[in-house]
Amino acid sequence: MTALRADVLVIGGGATGAAAAWDAALRGFDVVLVDRADLAEGTSGRFHGLLHSGGRYVVKDRLAAEECVAENVILRRVIPHCIEDTGGLFVTTPDDDPAYADRFLQGCEETELPAEEIPVAEALRAERRLNPRISRAIRVPDASIDIWKTVWSLATGAAEHGARILTYHKVIDLHSADGAVTGARVRHEQTGEELDIEAGFTLNASGAWAAQIVRMAGIEGIGVIPGKGIMIAMNHRLVNTVINRCTMPADGDILVPIRTISAIGTTDIRAADPDEIPVTQDEVDQMLDDGDRLVPGLRQARALRVWAGARPLFQDERSGPAAADTRDVSRTHAVVDHAERDGVRGLLTMSGGKLTTMRLMAQDLVDAMCRQLGTERPSRTEHERPPGAEDGEYMRLGSRLRRREETLQDEQLICECELIGRGRLEEAMRNSGTANLDDIRRRLRLGMGPCQGGFCIYRATGIEHAIERLDGAEASASLLSFLRERWKGVWPILYGDQLRQARLDDWIFQGLLDVEHLPEGAPVASTEEPAPV
Amino acid sequence: MALGDGNDVLGGLMRDSLDHCVKCTICETFCPVSNVTPLFPGPKYVGPQAERFRVPDEQSPDGSLDYCSGCGICTQVCPQGVHIAEINTQARAKLRERTGFKLRDRLVARPDVLGRLGTPAAPVANWTLRNPVVRGVAERMLGVDRRAAVPPFAGRTFQAWAQRHRSPPAARRVAYFHGCGANWYEPDSGRRTVELLEHVGCQVDVPRGQSCCGLPLQSNGMFDAARKYVRAMARALAPAARSGVDIVGTSTSCTLMLKREAREILELDDDDLRVVSDHVYDICEYLLMLHDRGELRTDFAPLPLTVTYHAPCQQQGHGVGKPALDLMALVPELRVIENDATCCGVAGTYGLKSEKYEIAMDVGAGLFRQIAEAAPDLAVCDSETCRWHIEKATGVEVVHPIEILHRAAPLG
Amino acid sequence: MTHHDVVVVGTGVAGLTAALRLAEDGARVIVLAKGVGATHLSPVTVDVLGYDPERVARPLEAVQRLIEQRPDHPYALVGPEGIRAAVAWFKERFADGPLAPYAYTGDVERNMLLPTAVGALRPSAVVPETMAGGEVGDGDVCVVGFRALKDFHPLLLTDNLNRLGAVSARGLELDLTPEGRADINALGFARAFDDPGFRGQLTIRLADRLRGDERVALPAVLGIADPHHAWADLQERLGRPVFEVPTLPPSVPGMRVFATLRERLRRAGGRVVLNNVVTGADRAAGRVTAVRARVGLRDVVYGADWVVAATGGFASGGLELDSRWVGHETALGLPVSGIPAVGSDRFRADYFDSHPMGRAGVAVDGDQRPVDATGAQVFENVLVAGATLAGAEPWREKSGDGLSLATGHRAAEIILAESGARAGAAAAGIGG
Repeated sequence: MTALRADVLVIGGGATGAAAAWDAALRGFDVVLVDRADLAEGTSGRFHGLLHSGGRYVVKDRLAAEECVAENVILRRVIPHCIEDTGGLFVTTPDDDPAYADRFLQGCEETELPAEEIPVAEALRAERRLNPRISRAIRVPDASIDIWKTVWSLATGAAEHGARILTYHKVIDLHSADGAVTGARVRHEQTGEELDIEAGFTLNASGAWAAQIVRMAGIEGIGVIPGKGIMIAMNHRLVNTVINRCTMPADGDILVPIRTISAIGTTDIRAADPDEIPVTQDEVDQMLDDGDRLVPGLRQARALRVWAGARPLFQDERSGPAAADTRDVSRTHAVVDHAERDGVRGLLTMSGGKLTTMRLMAQDLVDAMCRQLGTERPSRTEHERPPGAEDGEYMRLGSRLRRREETLQDEQLICECELIGRGRLEEAMRNSGTANLDDIRRRLRLGMGPCQGGFCIYRATGIEHAIERLDGAEASASLLSFLRERWKGVWPILYGDQLRQARLDDWIFQGLLDVEHLPEGAPVASTEEPAPV
Repeated sequence: MALGDGNDVLGGLMRDSLDHCVKCTICETFCPVSNVTPLFPGPKYVGPQAERFRVPDEQSPDGSLDYCSGCGICTQVCPQGVHIAEINTQARAKLRERTGFKLRDRLVARPDVLGRLGTPAAPVANWTLRNPVVRGVAERMLGVDRRAAVPPFAGRTFQAWAQRHRSPPAARRVAYFHGCGANWYEPDSGRRTVELLEHVGCQVDVPRGQSCCGLPLQSNGMFDAARKYVRAMARALAPAARSGVDIVGTSTSCTLMLKREAREILELDDDDLRVVSDHVYDICEYLLMLHDRGELRTDFAPLPLTVTYHAPCQQQGHGVGKPALDLMALVPELRVIENDATCCGVAGTYGLKSEKYEIAMDVGAGLFRQIAEAAPDLAVCDSETCRWHIEKATGVEVVHPIEILHRAAPLG
Repeated sequence: MTHHDVVVVGTGVAGLTAALRLAEDGARVIVLAKGVGATHLSPVTVDVLGYDPERVARPLEAVQRLIEQRPDHPYALVGPEGIRAAVAWFKERFADGPLAPYAYTGDVERNMLLPTAVGALRPSAVVPETMAGGEVGDGDVCVVGFRALKDFHPLLLTDNLNRLGAVSARGLELDLTPEGRADINALGFARAFDDPGFRGQLTIRLADRLRGDERVALPAVLGIADPHHAWADLQERLGRPVFEVPTLPPSVPGMRVFATLRERLRRAGGRVVLNNVVTGADRAAGRVTAVRARVGLRDVVYGADWVVAATGGFASGGLELDSRWVGHETALGLPVSGIPAVGSDRFRADYFDSHPMGRAGVAVDGDQRPVDATGAQVFENVLVAGATLAGAEPWREKSGDGLSLATGHRAAEIILAESGARAGAAAAGIGG
C-alpha cells in the first residue's frame, strides 16, 4: 500500500477545497487535495455562475450580505481573470411588490453595498430584452464568475507552492488514532488502486457529501440537506448584466450572463441524496415561465442545457430542528470543530456557505486549523493572486474572438461554437492528467456551445487518437461516452431550435457515422445527473 | 407565430435569429468571398457564431468581419432562417465605429454627393477619373483600386428629364424610384424605363425629392447617416404609396433596401417607411406580376440576339425567383443563357476598395468566364454596380433587362 | 397571384425529386423553400434499409417484412416496387445530367457495407460510383486524409476498421493542402481535386507510399464540378482503385445531387425560389387553393392545384416542438402525430435508446394525403413526402434518402395519375 505524507489533507476539490488548498499552501503547509472526480464536479460546478454583490441577502440575511459585499471586492482584486464585470440589476417586475425595493435600498445602505437606483428607461436602453413593464431598477456590483477557471487557478497556485492535487481519488475511509483523525484511504476511481494518505490535519470541504465523510470517523448527528437547484442555459446572452428580481428570494429570480450563455435559475427543493438530483419536467416548465417574467418571449429563445446542483445545507441535530424550507436555512457558513463537538481532533468540516464567500470560508477553515495546532500563520489570500491573474484584467467575453483573430490563418478551429483552436486543444489533451473528453470539455468548454459537440466531437476524438492519447477502442468509447453524457443535460429541455440541433446531430452521429455500430468498447463510467454548462 | 419560420424572435432583433443556427455549414458553401480567400472566415463564423461573443456596447474584436461583402447570399440559402448577412452588417457597423470611417468609405458611400459634384463638370470629372495618374494617386491616398470600374457621369440628370416629361394618363399608375445610378450615370436608361412602362400601359410618376436610398452608407457601417437618407426617401415616396400607387425601381439593390433591409438592419420603424416598403417592387418583379394577371402586353417583336443573364445577389435577395428570365422568354428569337454564378464580386462598393479588389475579381472569375465562353451580344444584369464591374472585366456590354424589353417592344 | 400546377415546399431530396418528376411530365412546378435543403448535409447515398434492427443484407426483402410488421411505416406507402422504380429513375437522372458520366451504382436488392468516417460499417444499397469501391471485403485499404481537413481522421477510421476484422487497413495523413491553407473544408478540397495539378501533387506524395494491391480511400472530396473525371483520373494515376468516404458536412456528394436535380429541374421548366418561408395555406372545401409564404417582410400568395409538403423533419425545421411540448408542422399547419402527451417523456435517458418521440411526423393515408387523429383526410390536394412523414426513425434504421426518394417520387406519380384522370374526365365532361 503506497502512502503519502502531508501536513494537511483537503477532502473535496470544489471551490472551498481548492481555496483551502491555496490558502494552506500559501501559509507553508504541505497540502494534498483529493476529489473523487474532476475538480468542481460537485456543487461548485453546477451553480449559476453569479458572484453576488450581496443584494440577494440584504433584506433577509444581513450577515450573509455583509460577507458578500466584502468578499466581492476581495475576489475582484485577487482573481479578476475568472470574473466578468457584468454588473447587476435588481428589477421590480409586475409580479413584485414595489415597496420591497425601498427595503432593499435600505438594506444596501446598512450593509454598505454600493447600490444605485436608475431610471427604468436607462435600464431598458442598456438591456433591450428586459421586461419593459418593470417599475424600478437598481444597479449593484454583481458579476459572473467562471468556476472552472477559478478552481484550476487556485489548484495550480497551490501546486506551485508544493501541493499535490489528486483528482479521481475517492475517500473510502478515514484513519483515526488516539482521538484524532490521522489521514484517509483513497481509491483511484479509474484504476482501482488504493492509497493511504497520512496527514497531520484533515479539512473536510466536501460540501453536500460532508456528512458521508464525517461518518467515516464515527461522527454522528450531522446531516446535509441537498437543496436541489436547477438552471437552464440559454444559447446566447439575452442580457449582458446580471438581472435579479427585486423581491424576497424566490425561484427563477436570476438571469446570469456567463461567457457566451445566459443561465436562468434557480429552484430550491429538498432532495434526499446529492447524487440523485434528476431534473423534472415541471421544474423545467416553471423555470421557463420564471425566465419569461424577466425577459418576455424567453420561450422563443433557444435553451441549450438544463442541470441541477445540490446546495449543501447543514443540519446539526444538536443545534435545533430542521428548517421547513431549505431557503430559510442561513446561507452563511460555519466551521464545525469536531474537537469541540465530538472530541475528535485533527478534523474540521466546512458547513453551509456560498461560492461568493469561498475564500473567506477557506480562510476560516485554515485559521481554525491553525488555532487547534497552536501555530500562528496568517492567511495571505486576501491580497495574493493565483496564477493567471497577473495582469489584473477581468475576463472579457470577446477574448476568445480576439485571440482567434491572431491565429485565423494558421490554426485549425476545432470547436467552432466556443472558438477552440487545435493548438489549445492538443495542449490541454497533453497536459491534463486525463484522456477523458469530458474533463477536456470542462476545462475548455469543448462541445458546450449550441451544437453540443455535433461537429467538434468527432474532430476531437480523431485528434486525441492521432496524438496517441487514446487507442481506437478508447477513442470510440470516449466518443460514445461524451454523447451519452451530453444527452443527459439536453433531453429534458429539448424543444425548438435545440431539438432541431439534436436531430441534426443524430443524423451525423447515427445516420452518417453509424457510431452505435462501432466495434465494441466499454463506455466510460458516468454519474446519473446531467452535467452543467 | 411558429418558431423557426424565419421570423424574428424576441421583438425583432436580427441578432436573436442566431439561435436558429445549427452550424450546418450550408452558408459557408455558398459564400462567394470565403470560397476564394482565407482572409474571410465565412458567414457562419462572423455571423451567428461570433455574435455570441460580442457585447452590444463594445466594439467587436474581430477585424476579419470586414471582409464580408454584404452580398446576402448566406441569408438566402440558410435553411434555418438565420439572418446572417444582417447580423454581419450590424456587427460591421460596430467594428467600424472602433476602427473609424475612412475618407474613402465616406466618399464612395455617398453617390448622390459624388453625382452632384461630378455632373456639372462631367467631361472634366470623367477624364479625371479615367486618368491613370489620378487613379494611381487615388489608390495610394484613398484606397480606391485603380483598376476598379468607375462609371462616367452623364453630365445631365434623369430628374431633369423627368421634371420636363409628362406621362400620358393611364388606368394604372406607378411611381418610379430611379436611384442614384439612373440619375447621375444612366439617365437614358431611366428614360427608357419610363417609356417601357408607358408602353405597357402605366402612367408613370417620378416623385420629387428622391435622393440616395442609403444602402452604401449602411454597407459601410455609417448607420446614422444611412437612416437620414432612408427617412428622406420614405418621405418622398410615401404619398404615392399611401394613395395605393405601386413603386417600381430599376436598381434591384436599392429597391431591396427600402423593401426590407432598412427596416431589418437599421431598425427603422417609421410610418412612411413601412407604407413605402409594402409598395416597393423590383421592376421585373412588377412586370411579371402584371403578366401573371394577364395585364402585360406581350406583343414583343423578334429580337434575334444571344444574351447572358446574371441575377445579382441583391436581386435574389428579393426572394422572387428570376422574373427577368420569364420576361425575356416572352421575346421571340431571343436566346438567353442563364449564368450559374452566385456573385459578380463587386457587391456595391466592396470591389472598388484596393484591399478588396482582387478578392472581388476572384469572386467574379467564374461568371466572367461563363460570359466569355458564351460570347453573347449583350450581357444582362439588374444592378448597375454589377453591370459596370462585369463590363470592365469582360468587355461585353451589360444592360438592365428593361433595355431588352425596350428594344423588343419595339421602342427604338 | 401566380398560379402553378404544383407547389412543392422543400429543396431536399424528396422535394426536388417530386418537383423534377412532375416537371419532366409537363407540370408547371414551383419549389419554395426557406433555404437550401439537407442535400448539402447528407452524403445522399441511397440507403434503403440498413438495420431492422439487425444488419440488413437484402434491403427490399427486409422492407417487405418491415411493412408487414409495421404498416404505419412510411415505406408501406411505396412498397418495394415503389422503391425500385424511384431508384431506377434517380439513377437515370444522372445519365444526361450536368455531371455526366458521374453515376450512381448498386442494386436495391443488395446492401453494400461501406466504411464510415469513424470506422464503423454502414449498409447502403445504391451509392455514387466514387464510393462503391469501398465495399468491405475487396482487399486491403490505405486510408488517406489531410491534416488541413479536420473533418476526416484516417487513423481513427483504420484503427476501428481493423478492430472489426473485416478488412486490413492503414492510415496516412498528408500535409498537402490547397493554397497552403491550414483549415479548409470539404468543398475547398473538392475544388482542388477538380484541378489536375493538385491530383498530380497528390499522386507524387502517394505513389511510393502505397503498397501492393491496396485500394486508396479518400474523404468524399473527389471533385465537385467534374467528379467522374477527377475520380477516374486519380485511379489511373495511382494505378489502383480509389474510393471516397462520406464525412461531416458540407457534403460534396450531396451537393452533386443538388446540382444535378436542380439543373434538370431548370431544364424542365421548373422554378426554385429560396428565402420563401411557407407559413400557411388558403383553403376551401377540403382543398388548398393557395400557399402563403413570408418573403422578407412581405406575405406572398402562390396559387396551386396541388401541394407537396417535403419540408423535412425536426432537423430541417419542417416539424417543430414548441416550448410547451406541442408539435407543429410548420408550413401548412398539418396535424402532427407521435408526440407523447404533455407530461409523458418524449425521450429516454440513454442516448442510443429508441425514443418515444422518435417517429413523430405527419401521418398520411395510402395516397400520402395528411390525416388527422381520427384518420380523416385533411386536404385532398396536399401530399406529404420525405422526413416529414410519421412512422420511422431513418437515422437509426439507415433509410433516410431511400425514404425521401421513394416517397417524393411516388407523390409525383400520384399527382400525375390523378391530374391525368381529372384532365381526361374534364375533357370527357365528367365530374368536377
